[in-house]
Amino acid sequence: MARVVVDVMLKPEILDPQGQAVQRALPRLGFDGIVDVRQGKRFEIELDGPADEAALAKAREMAEKLLANTVIEEFTVAFDPALTGAATTGTAATTPLTAVHGAAADSASSDSASSDSASSDSASADAMADSMRLAGAEQGSD
Amino acid sequence: MSPRIGVVTFPGSQDDQDALRAVALVGAGPVPLWHRDPELHDVDAVILPGGFSYGDYLRAGAIARFSPVMESVIAGARDGLPVLGICNGFQVLCESHLLPGALIRNGGMLFINRDERLRVESDRTAWTRDYAVGQEIVIPIKNGEGRYTADERTLDQLEAEGRVIARYLDNPNGSARDIAGIANAAGNVVGLMPHPEHAVEALTGPYPGPATDGLPFFTSILKQLVAA
Repeated sequence: MARVVVDVMLKPEILDPQGQAVQRALPRLGFDGIVDVRQGKRFEIELDGPADEAALAKAREMAEKLLANTVIEEFTVAFDPALTGAATTGTAATTPLTAVHGAAADSASSDSASSDSASSDSASADAMADSMRLAGAEQGSD
Repeated sequence: MSPRIGVVTFPGSQDDQDALRAVALVGAGPVPLWHRDPELHDVDAVILPGGFSYGDYLRAGAIARFSPVMESVIAGARDGLPVLGICNGFQVLCESHLLPGALIRNGGMLFINRDERLRVESDRTAWTRDYAVGQEIVIPIKNGEGRYTADERTLDQLEAEGRVIARYLDNPNGSARDIAGIANAAGNVVGLMPHPEHAVEALTGPYPGPATDGLPFFTSILKQLVAA
């Protein structure tokens, strides 16, 4: 079983009135130093079969066809380590990410080191999710 | 036999009955179409009405775009079938890529429900022949996600090809270049955020008037179909 997380955000050039409303509300609650807030959508998709490149490709196709409107939105596709990583530990979790790196044109390669360190020790699931998203995320095209 | 104009009902459509009524008022044959039925029942034109198809889940129009009836509407539109998308129908047309761009949340977040002054910009589409270019009309709007957006290149192309069919005189929601409606290159597919079907009778149209400025959308298509 693989759980794929698809994050959908409005493109940076598209005005986000919802994010702006949240941004204006936060200082009223005492949070200062807010520079910007943008609001998006997160989809968690469970697939049978292994957490491999084919699973990511399937999720990417779903995102392009339905989950995101690529006229106004961009998306990232990544495995959820809370399910995929915990069940398989280390090697299996990093292998598909390597495959993603191979396919991604713009992914920051310097981030891949953090993915390895996060999965080799007992980092929290949140830290793992962050680093793996950095490492494994792919930007939706146009 | 008078031309048959179909109006699609999706789960969550609200203005399908008003659209059917407007079709009947101008003397065309109103034909209810059902979202799950891919058959278009020999209609000569199709209206996608306003409302909240599939609850606007995911994005307005995103689920409706994949309904069985839309497969037939999309195929027909590519072959020249006249299609008018009103409000939610406009959103469905953009999600279907029959029209470029997208409709996103209004600037200021408000759901806006009011009579809106528009300027007609094209009399060259199947749905706007009975207007004069530059004519100012009053048509109600009622939407929360009516802000038209597209990249600059697309906007320039729409302008250059005369495909902006109506603009707001008092832009209510931040729509790019005051755009209220657009057409495809062939002119058979038109999307419009304001509701012409709510401006066809003195009793229920904008008050104190003009109350029936929406009628020419329906007489335009009727004349074109009769002439064909």
